[in-house]
Parts: sequence; C-alpha cells; structure tokens
Amino acid sequence: MPLPPINPNAVFLNIPYDEEFHKLYIAYIVGLSQLGFDPRIASGIPGGERRLDRVLSLIQSCRYSIHDLSRVELGVAPPATPRFNMPLELGMAITWAKINPKRHTWFLWESTPRRLQKSMSDLDGTDPYIHGGTVDGVLSELRNAFVRVGAPTVQAMMDAYRIAESHIDGILAGAGTRNLFAASVFKELCFVAEDVARRTTEDLTK
Amino acid sequence: MRPSVHITTPIEPREIRIKRLRIPKARQKELVAMMDQAWARLAAEKETPPIDSVQPGKKPERASAAD
Repeated sequence: MPLPPINPNAVFLNIPYDEEFHKLYIAYIVGLSQLGFDPRIASGIPGGERRLDRVLSLIQSCRYSIHDLSRVELGVAPPATPRFNMPLELGMAITWAKINPKRHTWFLWESTPRRLQKSMSDLDGTDPYIHGGTVDGVLSELRNAFVRVGAPTVQAMMDAYRIAESHIDGILAGAGTRNLFAASVFKELCFVAEDVARRTTEDLTK
Repeated sequence: MRPSVHITTPIEPREIRIKRLRIPKARQKELVAMMDQAWARLAAEKETPPIDSVQPGKKPERASAAD
C-alpha cells in the first residue's frame, strides 16, 4: 500500500476538547501559524470515516504532532474515568514515527514537570515541553520546539493571540455554535491566525 | 531528551495555505474586516498611554508629532 502524501508544514494537535483548554487551544493555533505551520485537529477533517481511522490518516499526513497530556486525568462526569484518547493517539504517533522516522516527529507537552514520569513511565528519557498551563508557556515552548530564524518574539505572539482571541465570539456567532472545536470554527480560527501572522511576522516563505 | 526541529526551509505561501482552508470568499472578507477593526483598536490602545501615567488636567500626548 502506498504511503499517504505528507504535508511538511502540517502539525497534528492531540489535545483535549474541553472548555478549560480553550485558551491553550487558541495559543497552539496562533503560535503554530506564526511559526509557519498548519495546525490540524481530528475534528477539522470532514468525512464519515471511523474516528480512529481519521486520526491515523491525519497523523500520517502530518510531518509533526504535538501531544498535550496536561489534562490526562479523571473526567469529572460520573463515572470517574481516565481520559485515554490522548495517550492512545500518542501511541499511534509513536508507532508511526518508529516505522517511518523520516516522515514523522512527535512532541510531548505537559503542564508541570515530572507529571509525565508518573503517568507514563514508559516514556522515561523523553522530556516534555512544559507550558505551565499558560498561553505564554505554550507560545514560548513552541518557539523552543520549532526553531526558525526570523520567528516572532513571544511578546509579538502574545499580541497575535489577543487579536485572535478577540474574534472568538464573532467566529462562533457566524458558525452558529458554541463549540470552539467544531470543524468550521477551527478553520476560521486558522484563517484568523494566518491573517494575524501575515500582519505581524516577516515573510518566512522566502 | 526532547526533540527540537531547526526549520530552515521556506514554508508554503500563505495564499496556498488559506486556499486549503476552503472558506467562502464572502466569509473571508467578513473575517478580514473584523481583523481590521481589531488591529485599529490595538493600535489605538498602544498609542494612548495608561490612564495613571497622565497627570490630572493634562491631555495625553499623541504618538505622532504631526498631531
């Protein structure tokens, strides 16, 4: 079976889809756009495929993936259940990268140091990027993970974040939803992030 | 150990990436108009000094000498 085409600038975001994560979700989209990448999420792809197949296709088509495990914890709604989607998708990415090391690189993100050693000791020897649960933490760690000459400063990225965040209500109203992770909302967030990047960063396409 | 990637290759032009998002042109225009307003607000905020830095009875100084 032929390998799927790969987008060298695409970054798969394995993140929790919940309200408490909204700010960091926007930060990832804005930060990646500012650094010249295309963020991708599982809900952002259309089609009636089984979710797991969609996620695998997405991982295979992205050169990079970011796995934010900061909210791998017990869900509040009863019955209290650990959230396993993110570790599952991380496992898929690790396997894909092991088989095709030149096609995929994965990164781990956490909120606090040493949490990962406790939750997944199998990953000993892999240090996560620590965002501390903050927007500027995400942005500065993105700059550390993806080093690019001419990358905007964290301050400039924060300005871009504020601009993008101020559009959330307008985007949600236009889409007729309150779900920030809906496919159409995600696309418009990416558009806004691209527009902010166009206005704030030097042309990285040259 | 944590991986980091040194990006040296140029990225795809923004127009191509935006085209891939497949947002109708009319909606793109609406979003750009919203962005224009947000940028104007941000620029105005940056030009105006914080209230506590302005002495009572004095108007805030403008950023441009032409004003």
